[in-house]
Amino acid sequence: MSSKLKITIFLLVSVTLMLVLFGGSIYYFQYSYSYNDFYKRLETRVSVAERFYLDNNKANANSLKRLREEHLEKLSDEREYILLCNAESELSGLAKQHVLPAVFLKAVYRNKRARYQKQNLFYFGRKYSNAAGTYLVLVSAKNYYSGHHLILLRNVLIGGGLISLFIIIGLSYYFSKRIFDPINAIINKVENISTDNINLRLDEISNAGEISRLITTFNSLLNRIEIAFETNKNFISNASHEFNTPLTAIIGEADVALMKDRSGAEYRETLQRIILQAERLNKISQSLLFLAQTGYKENRLSFHLLRTDELVMQSIAIMGQLMPENRIQIDFNLLPENPLKLKVSGNKELLMLAFTNILTNACKYSQNKPVSVSLASTNNEVVLIFKDQGIGIPKADLPYIYDPFYRASNASSYDGYGIGLPLTRNIIRIHQGTLLVSSVQNEGVTVLVKLPIATLKF
Amino acid sequence: MSRTILIPIDFTVSSLNTLKLVSRQHKSEQVHVVLMYAEHLSSSISELLYYSPSKRIQSLAGPLFTDAIDIIRNSNETGLLSVKIELFHGMNVRAFNHFAEAHGIDLAYLPKSYRLQIRKQGFDPCKLIKASGLPVHEIEWPTDLSAPEADGFNALF
Repeated sequence: MSSKLKITIFLLVSVTLMLVLFGGSIYYFQYSYSYNDFYKRLETRVSVAERFYLDNNKANANSLKRLREEHLEKLSDEREYILLCNAESELSGLAKQHVLPAVFLKAVYRNKRARYQKQNLFYFGRKYSNAAGTYLVLVSAKNYYSGHHLILLRNVLIGGGLISLFIIIGLSYYFSKRIFDPINAIINKVENISTDNINLRLDEISNAGEISRLITTFNSLLNRIEIAFETNKNFISNASHEFNTPLTAIIGEADVALMKDRSGAEYRETLQRIILQAERLNKISQSLLFLAQTGYKENRLSFHLLRTDELVMQSIAIMGQLMPENRIQIDFNLLPENPLKLKVSGNKELLMLAFTNILTNACKYSQNKPVSVSLASTNNEVVLIFKDQGIGIPKADLPYIYDPFYRASNASSYDGYGIGLPLTRNIIRIHQGTLLVSSVQNEGVTVLVKLPIATLKF
Repeated sequence: MSRTILIPIDFTVSSLNTLKLVSRQHKSEQVHVVLMYAEHLSSSISELLYYSPSKRIQSLAGPLFTDAIDIIRNSNETGLLSVKIELFHGMNVRAFNHFAEAHGIDLAYLPKSYRLQIRKQGFDPCKLIKASGLPVHEIEWPTDLSAPEADGFNALF
């Protein structure tokens, strides 16, 4: 069932229910009111009859008669009965004689007043006693008007209800159509967008409604997907290039070696060169694997409480082995006094890898100019700043430095594959930290790493 | 009795270098620090009606600025007993002297070559401070902040 139909039916059912309740209550209250009212009219006639027939004051009775003729309308089938009745046993005889219901007479006699209804005929009676004896004063009449009024009211209610039902069906269909048509349009448009024409966008509507927000959201989602596609494409071309270079070198070396018979020493030399290239290939594939792992395996890593200053010191020690001529200086000026504010929860190997990656880049691209590492902490984050005075990153390349295999345009003369920084960022991300790289070309790069301080649980 | 030091700021991380150097100089002595920002009070009656110094400070101090203050405080928790930010709305030396008296200021540290970056309605209080008769020390630090995001944390390191 489509949402359009659902909404129509829901609206219809709820409004019908409301209409029925509304009309029903009007009818019911009108009904009970008209009956009470009619009995009251009969009662008035009973009291007039009492005065007129049984009151001794004749002058009064005459004026009453005149009043009655002038003001009280004649009800349909109106009849008055004045029955003399001194004992209850006479009642059944009286009932037969005047064709009156015996139950009613008894009720009047016992309760002094009573009302009774037989089909459309209404009775009202009162017991009246004076010196002459006990009388039952009864009036009966047909409730012609209120009966007809009620039928008219019922017909009007039913007719009006039906008409408004039809209007509601139309309106609810129209509104649900109005609501869902733009959504259907969006669905159709989005269905048309595939990987081939990912550059297509939905037409923006310029009102602030939900639909236009939906369209904007869709478009920004499409933008991100398109960027991801681009990155993927770049990645594939860059990766194949990186893999291709050592492979070409290996093939070339082997080809040249096989051209003619060579001495054992020459073969050895060739094989060594081949091994060198193969190792390079191996390194690339390994680091790629690592990058992939850091991208997914967050849950399986074991995290420990670590002191960032120790991590930095150890990374610098490793750098001493990797690049003995480095000039890394640590700036402890803003080191927090409280060692608890240096503790982070993390994986030691990964964080060391991240720091050595950053330091290697800093030393490599600055040709061993001084690199400063500063440590500080705010109340909830440890802040590490790595500053170098190297070649920097051109402004145009800054948005892409986190793409795997991407290399800045001024870095071609330096060895590298373009995996280090994306890997570092993945590692920092796993630790809920942030990595910010800012740079001015030819002046240096500043890498800012923020890691959340571990909250100690005792 | 620990002394109270006044440092003018402009709510940029760079201006906190004075605080950093003061903190470094007072590792052994415990001091209170009042960071003062000077600006003219609005002349609009409705703005004055809803004027609240703490809200004004909140709107001026970005997260980077407060984080930078935290960094400096954390680096010298024993020396810096307190660091608070105050607004100064006065116009003349007398007003400044009242301010200094109210906050129990003993001495002031000013940046020597760094010029406070004055925002709309703000003014540079250095002249007032120098004329006030408070003991004033001027601190020099390299201000060649050609690095990008001069107002990032980089300015501190």
